[in-house]
Amino acid sequence: MSEVEVEEHFKRLTNNKYVEGVLIVNEDGQTIKSNLDPTLNKKYSDLITKLVDHATTCVKEMDETNDLSFLRVRTKKHEIMIVPDKEYLLIVIQNPEKK
Amino acid sequence: MEMERRKEELEKKRQKLAELRRAREERKQVFSTAAQKQEEKSVERSKKEQVEDLVKSLLKEKPIDHPGTPTSSKSDDAESEKGILSHHARHGSISTGYGFSPGTSVPQSPSIAAPRYIPEFSSYEAVILDIAPKELILYSKEVQTTEKSFGPLPPNEDEIRVKILKEQEEKEKARQAALEEERLRIEDEKKKMQQLKDISEDDRKKIISSNEFVEFIDHSTKIVERALNENYDYMKDYSIIKDNENDDQSGSRVKYVNSFFDDRWTKNRSVTDVNWSRRNPELCVASYNKNPIAMNEPDGVALVWNLKLLERPEFVFHSQSDVLTTMFSEFHPTLVIGGTYSGQIVLWDNRSKSLPVLKTPLSASGHTHPVYSMQMVGTQNAHNLITASTDGLICSWQLDMLVQPQETLELVHAEHSKTDEVSVTALGFPDNETAAFWVGTEEGIVYQANRYGRAGGKAGINPYDVYKGHWGPITGLHFHPSTGPYSFSDLYLTSSVDWTCKLWRAKSISKPSTSPQTITPLYSFESADDYVYDVKWSPKHPAMFASVDGTGKFSLWNLNVDTEVPIVSTQVGSQAKALNKINWDKEGRKTAIGSSDGRVHIYDIGELAHPRDDEWDIMQKTISEMTTESHSGRSK
Repeated sequence: MSEVEVEEHFKRLTNNKYVEGVLIVNEDGQTIKSNLDPTLNKKYSDLITKLVDHATTCVKEMDETNDLSFLRVRTKKHEIMIVPDKEYLLIVIQNPEKK
Repeated sequence: MEMERRKEELEKKRQKLAELRRAREERKQVFSTAAQKQEEKSVERSKKEQVEDLVKSLLKEKPIDHPGTPTSSKSDDAESEKGILSHHARHGSISTGYGFSPGTSVPQSPSIAAPRYIPEFSSYEAVILDIAPKELILYSKEVQTTEKSFGPLPPNEDEIRVKILKEQEEKEKARQAALEEERLRIEDEKKKMQQLKDISEDDRKKIISSNEFVEFIDHSTKIVERALNENYDYMKDYSIIKDNENDDQSGSRVKYVNSFFDDRWTKNRSVTDVNWSRRNPELCVASYNKNPIAMNEPDGVALVWNLKLLERPEFVFHSQSDVLTTMFSEFHPTLVIGGTYSGQIVLWDNRSKSLPVLKTPLSASGHTHPVYSMQMVGTQNAHNLITASTDGLICSWQLDMLVQPQETLELVHAEHSKTDEVSVTALGFPDNETAAFWVGTEEGIVYQANRYGRAGGKAGINPYDVYKGHWGPITGLHFHPSTGPYSFSDLYLTSSVDWTCKLWRAKSISKPSTSPQTITPLYSFESADDYVYDVKWSPKHPAMFASVDGTGKFSLWNLNVDTEVPIVSTQVGSQAKALNKINWDKEGRKTAIGSSDGRVHIYDIGELAHPRDDEWDIMQKTISEMTTESHSGRSK
């Protein structure tokens, strides 16, 4: 049942017209689910995991009681939205230009 | 013994000294005679200087051999005595004159040099004794001022340069080391990553099916989807002109926003009710009846939809029985209330899971028939939920105590045909009223009822006032929300399966009728070609209301513009499905329409939502015209 749900959520995201890539990794950067090709996937999973680590420490060091909850990286070409959690990361790459 | 020996020695010394003096005198005589021989003299002097130098150098050496010993002549004696003793022990034959050797460090050399130097050496002995203390004192001062008080000499430029270079070198080395370390770490990480990369398919499956993962996905995708639905591009550059700018909104006055639909939860179900949240204007809740195909899904469902989350419900609530009516609790933004087919009232909390946090028991103390209508009355501090079931039972509940109703009231009418039960399908309270209410019934009549007995009236249905006009069951009843210069709170609208909507004026409850009286509607709106399923006043515009019917039409009326036909009538959905319910959002801009195919359609009426300043006056006129017309119509 739960797997179906996961699949549904994943599909809904990937079917979104603005979304160019969806990627779910665990805290070590291992891919759990992705719709990107392997090379790009590896790039994103490695680099974004590091970015999130940095952001998390940054937030924590500014205020110990605080925590990172959502990270949006707007670039010229894309917007990368990252939802960090205890164990997993959801990374969604969207193209807001299409809006 | 010692003394004697010393005396002897001193004696010897004296003799020697005398001898030396004599020798000197002789020499002086020689010198004075040979004064004219300048050259010779200078040679002599240079010799003297040489000797003097030697002595000085020897004297200078002395302090180095005995550093830090400020020596007075006395102690010098002691020293020399020691020295003498030691020399006696080692070289018994050496002359005592040599005993004045300043230290023990050069014991060998004098044994060879002594015979030649003795005369010169002794001639300077007095000088030595004079100078020595001075020099010693200076020296001891020097000792006190070494290193600690002055520190090392100030470094010169070259030294600084060297130092800096050294430091730089060290830094560079450290940097290199750090880089190397980093490189190693990265490599390590890479290795680790590569090892990690081999996450097995089984593990992946395990993760995906784990509860935490499902929860994470549910939560995180929701956030991202909301963000994705943010239609405005906040990085938009207005200086760039795009030629594909489409302007499709200007044409129609009612704009379709979205349809909420979910494959799992709304397929094969119908929407039975829709309602907006007062606290969060982007949320609306819809209730659904059962899905005849999916037997193991719960019968009743209520979904909270978010205008910012278009493709999935924000919350899913379950119920054992079909949910027929639902709403957000006005005073508790997290609570959702549902009335079900079984007669249970259920209460969901979005902080909790899908199942109701509270529900009324299925017992004779509460409803045992379907609950199609309910309303919250009162204020933040004193409010009740009023529910009506089709057997004519009205219950009032306290939200935190659903075990049993606070009050129950059975609506009966003695003159009813066959049974005296009044089957309630719709219920409405006028603005700011909590005791008197109006109910629409299955046979098409609207009755007024009181929750409590008063002077001249009992609790229950007022049997005398009969609002008769509809020829079929009443599907909706709504009082004018009335917030403006004129009060229209006695006006209400009804919709019915007789294809019409009707406008009524409620009789004042302060002057109840004493004899049976039939009250006819003020006006009848008859443009629909099918059952009219619901009707609702706009919360902001005094003359505007909306209705939905069985052909899938959503009609927007403005009584100030036209009373015969709606100002906008639009086909909702592509398949002309019957529309069950409609509700306005708080601002009167958007309507949520519940369709029988399980979709909730959202429409934005745009500029139409804002009343002009004179709308209230015009409405007043319109109503008075209607009143005279209906009276004259009746008199005909």
